[in-house]
Amino acid sequence: MSLEILLLLEKGIWFGFAALGFAVLFNVPQRALIIIWLMGATGGLTKLLLMHMNTDIVLATFAGATLVGILSVSAAHNKHAPPLVFSIPAVIPMIPGAFAYRMMLGLIKLSGTATTSETYSQTLGETASNGLKTLFILMALAVGVAIPMLISRKETIKKIRHKSDADGG
Amino acid sequence: MLLDIGTLLMSNGASTGRVRTTVNRIAEALGYEVELLITSRSLMLTVTEENGSDYTSSVRRTPPHGVNFKLVSGISRLSWRVIEENLTVEQINEDIIRLTSLPHYPRLVVLLLVALAGASFCRLFGGDAIEMIIAFIATFSGLFIRQEAIKMRFNPYLAIVFASFTATLLSGLPFKLGLSGTSEHALATSVLFLIPGVPLINALTDLIDGNTLNGIVRGVNGLIISFAIALGLMVAMKICGI
Repeated sequence: MSLEILLLLEKGIWFGFAALGFAVLFNVPQRALIIIWLMGATGGLTKLLLMHMNTDIVLATFAGATLVGILSVSAAHNKHAPPLVFSIPAVIPMIPGAFAYRMMLGLIKLSGTATTSETYSQTLGETASNGLKTLFILMALAVGVAIPMLISRKETIKKIRHKSDADGG
Repeated sequence: MLLDIGTLLMSNGASTGRVRTTVNRIAEALGYEVELLITSRSLMLTVTEENGSDYTSSVRRTPPHGVNFKLVSGISRLSWRVIEENLTVEQINEDIIRLTSLPHYPRLVVLLLVALAGASFCRLFGGDAIEMIIAFIATFSGLFIRQEAIKMRFNPYLAIVFASFTATLLSGLPFKLGLSGTSEHALATSVLFLIPGVPLINALTDLIDGNTLNGIVRGVNGLIISFAIALGLMVAMKICGI
């Protein structure tokens, strides 16, 4: 059991580095880099932990992305940068690269080498399954990140109105 | 000046709603009312003085989209400072010039960290140490090729095809030559640095926000990038015979 936890934590470290690489690619301000590393690791660990408890991968990804989205709002307040600066690099490590790749491979097979009808229908099934997983995980990521961002923006707008009202009065 | 801010935000990875809020915030602080028409390639606005005595309209083309979050967060902070410190137009202009000239990270740092991200992806998908090294090298060269192609003013989508082709070729060759037992993890992760995360997430934000047209435009842009990645991947895989 303790070995499993260690293995999970090790993956968390890699999640963090993957997020960091994208943060640098997107030219994020330096003061945000450590936060992004932490948020990437937290989101990734949440997803892995939920999957460890037999949650569906789509739902687990959604939970991880939502957590990142919520964290990014408070990070935005502390570090004075828009939330998307934190949340986008932090969720990118959760992108379903392996599924997308298998789907591509399947599509290539379908268009060329799968000749007999038996292998064809088998490949077709695998490809559809991988493709749908990719699609739903991507949607879960985007929605998970976007919902807290939309809520937080409403709060910000309220703040502005408040301020100009106070100025006017 | 407001046009500058709007087009800068739009072309550097801010969502439509954010462009609108920020431009409105600055205009209000300066005592103007502003109406905006935001599309992905151009920005149109009408500025009215608060007593309605004078107004002016103007259109500006938006430069090709890239991602630079330092600029987005810089302008967001600037807009708050305009309210709190009552900056004048000249001061704001100076600040924008300062923000646009802020340096990117050094090229080698970007290359190394993104390559490290590629290796991390490989580990996350269950690759071993050898595959991680392969993914590191493939990502490094792929990003290098993309930067060079953009410098030579190739079409941005074509630059992505080149990059994904290089990365896949480099991660597929060791498998072909029998140096590595499995290639799947390295192959799958070496092109991940190209994924259009910002266009796709911004597309969804715009759609939820009611900016349907801009959301669709961004989504299609993300889709074309994905197809460009797939094209490079496919050609390289045919060459490697996988």
